[in-house]
Amino acid sequence: MSTRPPVQVGHEQLMALIDHTSAVIYMRDVDGHYLLVNREYERLFNLHREDIVGLTDHDLFEGPIADEFRANDLAAIARGIPLQVEEQAPGEDGLHTYVTVKFPLHDAAGHAYAICGISTDITARKRAEEEVRRLNDELELRVRQRTAELEASTRELDAFAYSVSHDLRAPLRSLEGFSQVLLEDYAEALAEEAQGYLRRIQANVGRMAQMIDDLLHLSRATRTQLHREPTDLSALAREVASELTDSGRKITWEIADGLTAPGDPHLIRLVLQNLLGNAWKFTGNAEHPVISVSVHPQSGVDVFEVRDNGAGFDMKYADKMFDPFQRLHSAGEFEGTGIGLAIVHRIITRHGGRILAEGTVGEGAAFRFSLAPAPADWELR
Amino acid sequence: MTERPILLVEDNPDDVLLTVRAFTKNRIRNEVVVAVDGEQALQRLLPDAGEPLRPALVLLDIKLPKIDGLEVLRRIRDDDRTRNLPVVVLTTSNEERDIVASYRLGANSFVRKPVVFEEFVSAVNTLGVYWLLVNEPAPSG
Repeated sequence: MSTRPPVQVGHEQLMALIDHTSAVIYMRDVDGHYLLVNREYERLFNLHREDIVGLTDHDLFEGPIADEFRANDLAAIARGIPLQVEEQAPGEDGLHTYVTVKFPLHDAAGHAYAICGISTDITARKRAEEEVRRLNDELELRVRQRTAELEASTRELDAFAYSVSHDLRAPLRSLEGFSQVLLEDYAEALAEEAQGYLRRIQANVGRMAQMIDDLLHLSRATRTQLHREPTDLSALAREVASELTDSGRKITWEIADGLTAPGDPHLIRLVLQNLLGNAWKFTGNAEHPVISVSVHPQSGVDVFEVRDNGAGFDMKYADKMFDPFQRLHSAGEFEGTGIGLAIVHRIITRHGGRILAEGTVGEGAAFRFSLAPAPADWELR
Repeated sequence: MTERPILLVEDNPDDVLLTVRAFTKNRIRNEVVVAVDGEQALQRLLPDAGEPLRPALVLLDIKLPKIDGLEVLRRIRDDDRTRNLPVVVLTTSNEERDIVASYRLGANSFVRKPVVFEEFVSAVNTLGVYWLLVNEPAPSG
C-alpha cells in the first residue's frame, strides 16, 4: 500500500481557492496599494494581477468611487474587525452593486498592515427589488387613477339618474293627465274608438313610467353604498313571502331555517323580493304552487337557491334573462318590465357573488346565487 | 274650510293646469296663487315692501328656475313671519336625498306626483282634506 504525503496548504493552494469563486477578492496595504487580486477581479476589470500590484484604487477608478473604497478600507482598519458595506463599481452595463466584507490583517504587535476585501455582486437582486418597487408604485398609481375614474363615473351616473327621476316623468304626467281630460270633458265628442286610443296612450304612459322607475331602481342598486353585516336570509325571505301571500293566492312556502350570509340587508331584501316575486308571478297557473328557499354549500361556498314549480323557461335564454328589459314571456302572459333580474344580478355581483338560472318549460325555475367572492377556479353549479 | 289662498310653486304650466283641475274636481275652492319660480314664491311670501301673501298651504316643487324649492323652504323656515306655514313638497322625484333634505328643512309632507292623473286627483283630495279641513293651523301662521 502506498501512502500519500501529507497535503501542504500553501500560497498556491490558497490562490487556487480564491481563484475559483464568483466573489471578487483583493488585498491592499494600509496605504491602499494593491498586494493581490483574484481571477474574478482580473476578469471583471480586464487587468492582469502583475500589472495591478502597487497601484491604488485612485489609479483604477474614478475619483468618487475610489474615495468611497478608500473610506471603507479606513473604516475597517479603524474598527479592527470585519465590516460589511454595500459598494458600487462600474461594470459592462453600468454600475454594479456589491456587498463587501472588509477586514484588516494585523502584525504581531497588533498593527494593521493590510486590508482584505471580498465583494459579492448583488446587482441582479437590487435591480429586481427596484423593479418590484417600481411596479408597486405604478400599480398604486393605477389603482388611484381607476378609483378616481370610477368615482367620477358613479357621480355622473348619480347626476344622470337624478335628472331622469326629475325630468323624464314630468312629460308623462302631461300625456296621461290631458288624455284623461279629453276622456272626461270631451267624451261625447269622441267616438268610442277614439276613447279607446286615448286609453291605449294612457296604458303606455303608465308602462313608460314603470320602466323609468325600474331603471332608477337598477341605478340605485348600483349607486348605494354596500354595508355588509350578518344578514338573516331566512327572516327576510319570510317577510317577503308574507307580503306576497297577503295578495291572496295560496302558495306553499318552504323556507329553510338559519340561512345567513354577510351582506347588505337592504340590497339582499331587494334580491329576495325580485326572486320570490318572480316565483310568485310565474306559479300563477300552477295547480299546487311550491316556492322554496334553501342553501347548498359548494366547495366551501354557500349557494342559496330559490326554486319554484311554475311556468319555467327555455334554458337557451338562461344567459339573456339577467340583461335589463329582457323578457321571456309576452306581456299578456305575465306582466313585468324585465328589470328585476338585472337588479338581482347587479346586487349579487356587487357582493362579489355569482348567480345562475336553471329551468324547464312548464316545470319550474331555480335561481342559485352566492354572496361572497370565491376562488378563481370555483364554478357555480 | 279656510278661505285663505293656496300658493302653488310650479314652473311647468301643464302641471299648473292639471293641479288646478285636481283642486276643482275635489271642490277645493280656495284661490290658487301660482309662482313660477322660487324667486316669485319668496317675493309673495316675504316681500320687501307691501302686504305679504298668507296662504293656507304652500305646494312646493323642488326643481325650480332661479331659486330651487329646497332653498325656498329654508328661507320660509328661517323667517318668523312664515315659520309655521304648512309646506307640502309636491314633486316629481322620490330620490331619497330630496326626501331627507325636505324633512330636514322642515317640510310638513313630501308627496311624489303620480303619473296617473286619477291618482294625482286622489292625492290632492287627501292633501286638501287634511291641510285645509282637518289640520288646525298655528295661531300666528
